[in-house]
Amino acid sequence: MAKIFKTKLTAATIVLIPACIGINYLGKLFASLLKLPLWLDSIGTCIGACLGGPIIGGLCGAVNNIVFGLTTGDNITLIYALTSLGIGIAVGIMARCGFMKSFPKAMLTAVVGGTAAVCISTPLNIMFWGGTTGNVWGDALFAITQAKGMSVGMGSFLDELVVDVPDKLLTLIIVYLILKGLPQKLTSLYDVNAEIERLD
Amino acid sequence: MKSISLYKDKGTWLNLMHPYTKLLYIVAAISIPLIGGKLWLFGVLIAASLVLLASGKVLRSAVPLVAFSATLIIVIFLIQGLFNHANAEALFSVGPLTFYKEGVLFACRLGLNILNMLLSFAVFVLTTSPQELVDEMEKNGFSPKFGYIINSVFQILPQMMMTKDTITDAQRSRGLETEGSLGVRMKAFIPLISPVVMSSLVNTRERAIALEVRGFGRKNKKTWLEDRPKHKGDRVIGVILVLLVVLTIAGRVLGWL
Amino acid sequence: MALINIENLKYKYPGTDRLALDGITLSIEKGEFIGICGRNGAGKSTLSQAIIGLVPQFYKGAYGGKVEVDGVNCESRPVIELCEKVGLIFQNPFNQLTGAKETVYGEVAFGLQNLAIERDEMKKRIETVMKQLDIWQYRDRNPFDLSGGQMQRVAIASVLVMEPEVLILDEPTSQLDPQGSEEVFRVVDQLSESGITVIMIEQKLEKLAAYCDRIILMDDGKMVDFDTPEKIFSRADLEELGVQPPVFTRIAKEYGVKNEAGDYPAKLEDTVRLFQEKGVKPVRAARAKAEAAAEVFNIDQMSFSYTEEVQIFNELSLKLDRRATAIIGQNGAGKTTLVRLLKGLLKPAGGNIYYGGEDISGKTVAMLADKVGYVFQNPDDQIFKYNVLDEVMFGPLNIGMAEDKAKEEAVRALAMMGLEGKEDKNPYDLDLNERKMVAIASVIAMNTDVLILDEPTIAQDYRGKKLIGEMIKNLTEQGRLVIAILHDMDFVDEYFDRVIVMAHGEVLCEGSADEVYSMDAELEQARLHKPHMRQLLELLS
Repeated sequence: MAKIFKTKLTAATIVLIPACIGINYLGKLFASLLKLPLWLDSIGTCIGACLGGPIIGGLCGAVNNIVFGLTTGDNITLIYALTSLGIGIAVGIMARCGFMKSFPKAMLTAVVGGTAAVCISTPLNIMFWGGTTGNVWGDALFAITQAKGMSVGMGSFLDELVVDVPDKLLTLIIVYLILKGLPQKLTSLYDVNAEIERLD
Repeated sequence: MKSISLYKDKGTWLNLMHPYTKLLYIVAAISIPLIGGKLWLFGVLIAASLVLLASGKVLRSAVPLVAFSATLIIVIFLIQGLFNHANAEALFSVGPLTFYKEGVLFACRLGLNILNMLLSFAVFVLTTSPQELVDEMEKNGFSPKFGYIINSVFQILPQMMMTKDTITDAQRSRGLETEGSLGVRMKAFIPLISPVVMSSLVNTRERAIALEVRGFGRKNKKTWLEDRPKHKGDRVIGVILVLLVVLTIAGRVLGWL
Repeated sequence: MALINIENLKYKYPGTDRLALDGITLSIEKGEFIGICGRNGAGKSTLSQAIIGLVPQFYKGAYGGKVEVDGVNCESRPVIELCEKVGLIFQNPFNQLTGAKETVYGEVAFGLQNLAIERDEMKKRIETVMKQLDIWQYRDRNPFDLSGGQMQRVAIASVLVMEPEVLILDEPTSQLDPQGSEEVFRVVDQLSESGITVIMIEQKLEKLAAYCDRIILMDDGKMVDFDTPEKIFSRADLEELGVQPPVFTRIAKEYGVKNEAGDYPAKLEDTVRLFQEKGVKPVRAARAKAEAAAEVFNIDQMSFSYTEEVQIFNELSLKLDRRATAIIGQNGAGKTTLVRLLKGLLKPAGGNIYYGGEDISGKTVAMLADKVGYVFQNPDDQIFKYNVLDEVMFGPLNIGMAEDKAKEEAVRALAMMGLEGKEDKNPYDLDLNERKMVAIASVIAMNTDVLILDEPTIAQDYRGKKLIGEMIKNLTEQGRLVIAILHDMDFVDEYFDRVIVMAHGEVLCEGSADEVYSMDAELEQARLHKPHMRQLLELLS
């Protein structure tokens, strides 16, 4: 268990975090440029998690939301720092357990990441905005469940589920495709178990 | 360079206040109405934040922040007013839709809470330099590594944002279609995001080297170029804020509120 | 005892089989100015990074032998402590900024804060060094807003304030424009006089010759030679090792002018003195002038601006024919904007651009993709595939080429850029100079009528420049138009039939290289230098 969380805070892993936050942002930017119906704003967090492990992944997620919350003054983002933290940790654990090695396994990681996001976001949604999420499709669903008399918790859970899981699936597909193409020169920098060999 | 931070130094007293004092204000502003449990308390604190924003000459900058949350607040009113489980007493009807008193009250509470949070945050965000906050935290023992992470985001992000147009142009030059059906657009995502990821990861290697050769990560305590000038007001305001929170708790426990 | 001692140093990067450093033994005395030269991939940077301990501490891998600086073992002493003794500056000025400081002053102070230098001492050192490097006036600016040359000087300042005994400069000007390079070399000038031990890796060998006491010549991870510049550059096998001697040595070789020790001169003053002593007057044969053929682009009274306040082009008129054309000028002259307009990435605000007689303003970038190819300056803005071949096939497939044909074109383009045998490699496992070649090949494979290159020679060594030059000749012979934006005057002189000089959004003058490089007034106005060989010939005659 200790091994899964093993993290060295070297300069290489530290500079990974701002880069991943930038990737998060550009993912969102390109998604809106191409008018894609998803956010795709956690690609960087997932890359950080896969390369640096759960601690770095969680940090990428949390710092991402804290910085945007603090700069844009949008405390809605700030509250979801917890969710991003959860996604980073969940994906990081899965990656360290080898669940990014093949496409089907990566999909499982996506489901775990998505579920983590849903489980953390739902109570926040209920606590702060009575169950809504601000996403049109999800909130339409929430309105229907409430009209039909379903409990707030269940409705909010579904609201978040239809939004988060497809987004995380696509995110992890992209992350999987990108990581497959990473040169060894880079991946070796984040290898926590690397040792220096002697040649003489 | 375009900064991503909303902070501007307007030379007002709010700029001079210690970042911690302003953080304490956020805590007080959010907790007092929640502890007190009365709707009018939200009103008092929202008014207080507005006065502060005006005295810091940043009231105008706060408008887009509030506008941003408007959709969320409207959705909350619709859903709660129409479908809240406690709804019993009809308040008014618009066409076939009937809004109920209980739901609307609940929505009011949520909406006011959002507004209160937003505005108290705005007081902090619009008047505090992020680097100043991080520096102060580091001086108080916060890890310089985490400090670096936060500071560097503010500098590196705008640089990465500028690559967006170059990458789009470079790929379009090679015949990439970025418009058309959803399938075409989905397919264009990888050629656009991949170069960002690859080049920023390749760059991190050099930046990590640059940090190491400048002694980043040494165990010894860092030295600083400046001390922050002390401001008398910090202590006074801090004490008042803490007193107000204590008073609210007392009020709630003793039943004044 | 020598300041730096290296004994039988061997090193392998993780996951590779090749020794990047293979049995290097040498020692460097305090106060020496040492150069390292050799082709790209010879192991120059790896050797320099072993002296500051990044090899092996940062990269891991396999290590043998010993490196000592001032008696300190560079394998085991952490880099963050070793940096008090050894400072490092590398190519990319942008990546050397910490990214955590909002002002140049804070950036320079970063290292001192980490070393826990007292406040007064810190301020004193910063002010002295910043004034010395002529960057004191930028102290309150954001470091990211500076030009490349300014940023690079900030990087040097932030290392110098830490007062290292050894300073390593790893091609500090390879990614800068001529003005920026000059700013940095002016600093190197000062350093060479200050008595600090300097180790400089550089492709501009005229500069190495001017500063160095001794030069290390490397190839394939081994040290081939370690001697004075004259001895090194007089070696007969130099070009085989991928190093082109400085112009001074080249011309002396051509005319058989040797110094007292029997070597060819390597420095400007020695060359001039020897030529005068021997009474030799070199002459240069004028190049055959290429004829202007049918017009390809016709730019007719074209105006353009990014913002309302600043107009880039005001009714610019220019015709481009099939001669290989170089566009030269300082940064901000409008070169890149012009080629972007030709490619259709930008639209003119007034006037017209005709391609083959047709107005292109109504065409989209995608419609022009199979006609006009454009290689961007930074290859990392476009590379995204897992292997080189797929990357190069991406463009051809996009413009509707059949799979077989695309592959055929890609293989041919890769061969032309010297990348045969690297088709299956991951592009990001290649070095920057090779990634640039991949980017060029990926556009050549689209078989476009026009090829636009933005700064193709940056980061290339002698062989790389030669490959690009041959490619330009080749395409021109096939009747395709090659347009290149360039800062490398020597390269322009050698490979281009037509040269266009731009300044402030205007064409100052144009003509063959022979014509343009004899227009002293216009070159001065555009703040451009003549090619080294021409400068030398003028001096000698």
